[in-house]
Amino acid sequence: MLERVRYFIFRALRNMRQWPFLCTASILTMAVALATVASFFLVVVNIEQLAQRWTKEIQIVAYLDKPVPTQQIAAITRQLKDLPEVEAVEYVSPRQAMERFKQRLHNDTSLLEGVSDDLLPASFELGLKAPFRNQQGVEAVSEKVDNLLDLDEVRYGQNWLERFNSFVRMLHFVGVVLGAFLLLAALFIVSNTIKLTLFARRDELEIMSLVGATMPFIKVPFILEGAVQGLIGGFLSLIFLLFSFHFVIAHGLASFWLTPADFELLFLSGSQQLLLIFAGVVLGVLGSFSSLRRFVRI
Amino acid sequence: MIQLYNVTKRFSADSVAVKDLTLQIGKGEFVYVTGASGAGKTTFLRMLYAAEKPTKGQILIEGQNITRYRSHQIPFLRRKIGVVFQDFKLLNSRSVYENVAFALEAQGKKRYEVSKKVYQALKEVGLEHRLQRKPMELSGGEQQRIAIARALVVDPLILIADEPSGNLDQDVTLEIMELFKRANARGTTVLLATHDHSLNERFPRRIITLDKGKLIGDQQPLQM
Repeated sequence: MLERVRYFIFRALRNMRQWPFLCTASILTMAVALATVASFFLVVVNIEQLAQRWTKEIQIVAYLDKPVPTQQIAAITRQLKDLPEVEAVEYVSPRQAMERFKQRLHNDTSLLEGVSDDLLPASFELGLKAPFRNQQGVEAVSEKVDNLLDLDEVRYGQNWLERFNSFVRMLHFVGVVLGAFLLLAALFIVSNTIKLTLFARRDELEIMSLVGATMPFIKVPFILEGAVQGLIGGFLSLIFLLFSFHFVIAHGLASFWLTPADFELLFLSGSQQLLLIFAGVVLGVLGSFSSLRRFVRI
Repeated sequence: MIQLYNVTKRFSADSVAVKDLTLQIGKGEFVYVTGASGAGKTTFLRMLYAAEKPTKGQILIEGQNITRYRSHQIPFLRRKIGVVFQDFKLLNSRSVYENVAFALEAQGKKRYEVSKKVYQALKEVGLEHRLQRKPMELSGGEQQRIAIARALVVDPLILIADEPSGNLDQDVTLEIMELFKRANARGTTVLLATHDHSLNERFPRRIITLDKGKLIGDQQPLQM
């Protein structure tokens, strides 16, 4: 048994040395295919992360019918904060609202001359916890707030949220569809390359079966070879990916409008990097396995 | 040793390679298989090592009906049969040693056993000094001797040679015949497809003649 295993490993490595060109072609094809799929994954993940960032801005503003007596503000704030979806609550008095308005007007504050300081309504501004920063979350909270307080109206940028939501949905959809196409194309190219390399070695396969080698004996070294090539291909793809990440993806996203200056790009996590290398091994094994079925006949 | 009963091989409706072939070959026999190109010699031989399955009829080797073999049993049949081809079928990416060792490794033999037997087999064909060369660096005759060493290294019960000297000159052909005769003398049944009649004149043996897939002659040598 041990003798067998030793032989298979020796044979697999030996084959790679005896066919350096075919071996390199397989490895490079796998590396490029994996790096392409992984780059695409990174782009999608980062755009989605960017979209998540924008949702931080989601806020509910509850405009009050009449200002709340000062002694009740703390109680209402607490009540609102007790809602499971709410992260932060801020009370904005009519005076503060006017202050902000004046700031926004900059040089045109003169327009507000003679206007009373409590013209604007008082409001509560609610920030939401991350999982609820979407249309459903916002609608649910708005309803609760509406029931809780005597309100003039509740605002949360309905239109903007709807558009944002459809944008995120589209992003998901495009990501999944394009990703699936890319993955299919990668699989197709890899399996064809492996098929070609086996085609070049069909004499070897034929002679093996003529001298009485059993199916597993013929196939195992080729599958091992596929696994080793996949492993190397996986490593290489990680290196390609690092390059494409730093020089292409990072540049592209940084120049993307709406990207905040402090936005930190995501690279693959440790386990995702391992997964990429593992995907290389799986690709190599499956590619060899399926191609061998066509070439090895006893 | 080898028995064929009404064996027919049809590749398509109007192409019959072998037709209703019935014959027996005894243990230790040396048989020439002759006939014009396309007479069905190769198909006949290929059926013996289960590279082709007969359309009709039965083939028995050592009493075993190989037409009923499942694909996982076929490798074990082939381990008893050494095959030599006109085009040698050597692996050019591997050394002479590896080419011969291949047949033993395929049978799962131990490493020390492999190296011992390979050396013996190559010595037998006079190529023990070429161990590390690649087949392409050698002459046609030498390549065919490697192929013969590969066929004989497993001590086969049957040696099948399909036009082994088709590409070789007369001197080399005689050397190769000598190797076949020696194997035969050790008890291996030899089937040799050829259309070189001069071989039979030098080494008279039983001759099976095929024409358009049919057996049209089965002659024993005169002096026997």
